[in-house]
Amino acid sequence: MTGARSRKPAGKPVADPQSLSEAVAAARPRLSRLRLPGGTPVEAVCAAFLLLLVLLALFVDFIPGLASPNFPYGDFSQPPDLTLNGILGTDAIGRSILSRVLYGARTSISIVFFATLISLGFGLLFGMVAGFYRGSVERAVDLYANTMASLPPILVILALVASTGSSVFTITVALGILDIGTYARVAKGGVISQSNRDYILAARAMGASDARLLLKEILPNLVPALTAIVPTLMAGLIITEGSLSFLGYGIPAPAPSWGGMIASSTDLLSRYPLLIFGPVLAIVITVYALNTVGDYFARRLSSRERQG
Amino acid sequence: MSAGALPYLKAISTRLLAGIPVFILVTFAATALSSLAPGSAAQLILGENASSQQIAELNAAYGYDLPVWERYFKWLGGVVQGDFGRTLFSQQSVAKLLVDRAAVTFEIAFLAMFVSFIIAVPLALYTASHPGKLLDTVLRSIASVLLSVPTFVTVVLLAYIFAIVLRWLPATGWENFSDDPLANLWYVTLPVLCLAPHQTAYLYRVARGEFLATLQEDFVTVARAKGMPLSYILLRHVLRPSLPQVLTVLGLSMTYLLGGSFIVESYFAVPGIGWTILSAVNSHDFPVVQAILSLTVAIFVVIFILVDLGYTLIDPRVDVS
Repeated sequence: MTGARSRKPAGKPVADPQSLSEAVAAARPRLSRLRLPGGTPVEAVCAAFLLLLVLLALFVDFIPGLASPNFPYGDFSQPPDLTLNGILGTDAIGRSILSRVLYGARTSISIVFFATLISLGFGLLFGMVAGFYRGSVERAVDLYANTMASLPPILVILALVASTGSSVFTITVALGILDIGTYARVAKGGVISQSNRDYILAARAMGASDARLLLKEILPNLVPALTAIVPTLMAGLIITEGSLSFLGYGIPAPAPSWGGMIASSTDLLSRYPLLIFGPVLAIVITVYALNTVGDYFARRLSSRERQG
Repeated sequence: MSAGALPYLKAISTRLLAGIPVFILVTFAATALSSLAPGSAAQLILGENASSQQIAELNAAYGYDLPVWERYFKWLGGVVQGDFGRTLFSQQSVAKLLVDRAAVTFEIAFLAMFVSFIIAVPLALYTASHPGKLLDTVLRSIASVLLSVPTFVTVVLLAYIFAIVLRWLPATGWENFSDDPLANLWYVTLPVLCLAPHQTAYLYRVARGEFLATLQEDFVTVARAKGMPLSYILLRHVLRPSLPQVLTVLGLSMTYLLGGSFIVESYFAVPGIGWTILSAVNSHDFPVVQAILSLTVAIFVVIFILVDLGYTLIDPRVDVS
């Protein structure tokens, strides 16, 4: 446990000033000390970034002095300056890019969050039933997962959104549909590998119902494998949602979205190249952070499996 | 040899049969979705001012107003005979249109795959045999950053660098290879460059992991103990047993490449299937969307058959069935 090592024992009075400054330096939080259990500093920074992003997205309305994302606040296409609203520049009609990036984060995160709830919920339901009862449910789950794996996500979502019209609701549902098969397959595999264990046999012998076995005994043991894939699949959803907005099928204007902002700044790229950095950095860093946290979970999971 | 070919034929036909439910699910779902779309097909073709009589006549001629099931079976009957219908507006043959467009997309996708293979596999071989060294750490970090850059960002940034700042490559346009090979190379470079980074990073990651695992095997330790040169061990002992996994990744990444081609083709105005489906979705040209979905599913069934057969060619221990 690296986390325990960073907390120095507080006792021991310090005598001379030199060792005092040493002690202060040792007590100061340093980047190299910031770690998740068994993780690297980069992974901890990524987790902290994601936490910050969620907080910003939740409370963006309360940031003092932040301009509205949908109304011009200054001259158009201004390069970045040192004011709060102008730090990433202004877009083609004078809106603050920082404000639009932050409000875009709110849109992206809420869409991806609810899409994940949909796919995790249905995936768990179908996957657990498929793993427990096998038979035709299992074949249906496999068929669904194979089908989704054989189609590019953007193609599926374009077909769905083109026929239902694009709104926050349809995009969320369409994104949710994408990963149901993946979650179902992981849940199914988990249930199958747990079903033969002794504790299930014991619970059965005590007369536990199927529902109790699935929900109280097996479900808690599926959590590690499922959490390990959530960040990576969320990163995929962020990219798909961004691509959809980039192609012009995303959330209708004027609501800000990272993909849409990148698409609209490409028109002005030859004259105002700096203005694309805000949304580009936002999406790249978010995806990177999600992927890194996902790798961390996956590594923890595999070391856990090796031990147990 | 004929006795040897039989298990292959059997394996191929089993996998083709397994692809049929996927094909039916996708195409039927697409038919069902098309009836959700606002406005009827006949209305779209004839425009706002069409009389109800004109609409009825068109519906009678093409069957656009039939229930979902009947439309689907009609379409499926055509497909069995190799007829994918006609495009809504220009009434061209969809099959003929797609053959031309698919050739463009495949050229880009396979070149991107080739480029990424050429770059990723040698680098992965080297770094896997020198783990923890500077180059290994640096490449691993670069790969995880590249994996986080969505294709549409790569497209915008590379187009800016190569087409706007340096002016080395054209930002839009296309020339078929059969018409002018040199011009084709000139136009294909930027789209390929845009698809390659993500693909290379992905392949590098998987290949490095596979090579690392193979390097732990006993036969590698024996070869090393015999004092064989590292390069010989890598090429003769490590590369081949690791390839099946790499091959699977290449197969799986066709989904990514095809999805990426949507972005790349729409941005550079390249007339491939990605560009085609986007304009078809825009104009609600349903027969084209349906045909592209069918084509995509068919591609994946074929690719996975090829990947499975590739396994047995690379590693004779793998059983075809």
